[in-house]
Amino acid sequence: MTNIYKPDLMEVLQVKQHTPDVKSVRIKFQDEARAREFDFHVGQFGIFSAFGYGESTFNICSSSNWKDYIEFCFRKTGMVTEALWRIEEGDTIGFRGPYGNSYPMKEWEGKNLIFIGGGIAMPPIRCAIWYALENREKYGNITIVYGARTVDDLVFQDELDEWATRERVTVIRTVDPGGETPDWTGKVGFVPTVVEESNIPMDNTAALVIGPPIMIKYTLPILAKAGIADEDIYTSLENRMKCGVGKCGRCNVGPVYVCKEGPVFNMEQLKTLPNDM
Amino acid sequence: MSEVISQQTLSQLVDQWISQGKRVAGPTRVKPDVLLYEFLTAADQLLLNGFIRPANTIKELIFPRTEKLYGYRLEGKQIELYDVEPPATEQIVVGARPCDAAAFPTLDYVFNWDYKDPFYRRLRDLTTIVTLACRDHDEHCFCTSVKLAPDDEGGSDAMLFDLGDGNYEVRCLTDKGKALFAGATQSSDKVGKAGPGPEPSIDLDKVKQFLDTNFESPQWQSLSLRCVGCGACAYTCPTCHCFDIVDEGNAAGGARVRNWDACQFSMFTMHASGHNPRSDKSQRQRQRIMHKFQIYPDKFGEILCTGCGNCTRNCPVSLGVKPVLEAIQEIATTETIETK
Repeated sequence: MTNIYKPDLMEVLQVKQHTPDVKSVRIKFQDEARAREFDFHVGQFGIFSAFGYGESTFNICSSSNWKDYIEFCFRKTGMVTEALWRIEEGDTIGFRGPYGNSYPMKEWEGKNLIFIGGGIAMPPIRCAIWYALENREKYGNITIVYGARTVDDLVFQDELDEWATRERVTVIRTVDPGGETPDWTGKVGFVPTVVEESNIPMDNTAALVIGPPIMIKYTLPILAKAGIADEDIYTSLENRMKCGVGKCGRCNVGPVYVCKEGPVFNMEQLKTLPNDM
Repeated sequence: MSEVISQQTLSQLVDQWISQGKRVAGPTRVKPDVLLYEFLTAADQLLLNGFIRPANTIKELIFPRTEKLYGYRLEGKQIELYDVEPPATEQIVVGARPCDAAAFPTLDYVFNWDYKDPFYRRLRDLTTIVTLACRDHDEHCFCTSVKLAPDDEGGSDAMLFDLGDGNYEVRCLTDKGKALFAGATQSSDKVGKAGPGPEPSIDLDKVKQFLDTNFESPQWQSLSLRCVGCGACAYTCPTCHCFDIVDEGNAAGGARVRNWDACQFSMFTMHASGHNPRSDKSQRQRQRIMHKFQIYPDKFGEILCTGCGNCTRNCPVSLGVKPVLEAIQEIATTETIETK
């Protein structure tokens, strides 16, 4: 009898604090055989647990090319994330997964890519960015637009710096008005406005847009106006989940179980779903 | 020709199962005005006569209200997980309502698609269900509206028919059912018959048509206005199966547990960000009805409702599936007339 709810035990290799309330964690399987057989695709998610506190759902934010460990990133907001906040190198946590579908990295080959993220949505984009950079010859120009409320809320800043040095990569950082610091060199403004004003070439382009619903709502028309077809605009729905395996009944958007048929959807697919988000 | 068993022999059989260490459950009166399916310690607790509709369902024998998924032990930085498998005790339900049993063939889909739920499957295999065909119904029953019947055989391993003379006809429907009654019945020429059941009052095609085209209907507001969000409908429903997964324990150890949950609770879908896709009770009522009569049928081909009426019977404000479907039907009819 396979217990589909029993997680793998993971050793914490590294904990990194990005903002006053966001950390990323690097973990590896305790079981070496399991580590060898484990495989996932960027865009999939896992269910991570702090024993004694419970489980939370996060995207696996490391690239699927990184074989020795996986990473996830979270904001401290509730009981489980408060417990995860306290973990240190050498601690043990639980992981179930990978679950759900993934980004169509294969379909995106030969295209320019635009990654647009807001706040804590950088981690689920980060895995795709690294994957594209690790297969650089397969993708065209890469543009990354990333915004947060304040300078302090931007995550993976060091990696944004590194991406900006790569060939055919443009990184645009922005913070909401009032969120800038005196030495801030990025833009000030909301993500949709910044996307619109940055004159990003959008021919032969696929876009991955993840962030707060309001950001997505105002970004989509801009991409549409620039001529990106709905079927080339992707997002990842971050619905609340418990089981991750299509049983517990809370992540559905209309007829779609996000944990199994998502979390990755293109706008063409989302248009067919009822407004249950 | 039929096989019959006397009330007395049935009682002896029940007592025999109990003495063999099997867990035997059936409808019983726990308080003067409260009927529940409970585990029995003696056959005389079993209620089989008259209109019997326990406030709970037999769902909890196979999908318990709370169930340990595994245990964990913490020692310093070391964590050990271990299986918590209760003893594989055979369970027998006697005198279940056919509308309770009929839930399981439907629930089998969700617990077995792609990922197989081992806990559900284990208890499903360990359980034998003996139903009693209904002779009576009350104003909340509507099995005949959801394509079932007072003697629907779905999910039953054997079905009893009250012959009215102190005997029951026994129809064994599965090998499990046959094994249970082997040698205990006698041949007879008496054949049992269920009651006629409630007059069908709902046109499911009309309801489905409404659901397919009215996600945004303002009617959902009025259809949920008096709902108090208590979740009694879901907890006493034979087919509602939503659950939560939580840890119960302390720093030294404990268990990861799954507990029943309900889509009628406002926290059910709440995101960490505070955003809630179903922040309003009309959205939650719509989800419950849609899940049962549109989403589940579209996905698995079965309606997620057996017409037992428990949702209305147990509802503090007399809502529940039947009144909502009847209202939808009326709205659909009125709107059709108006568009004409």
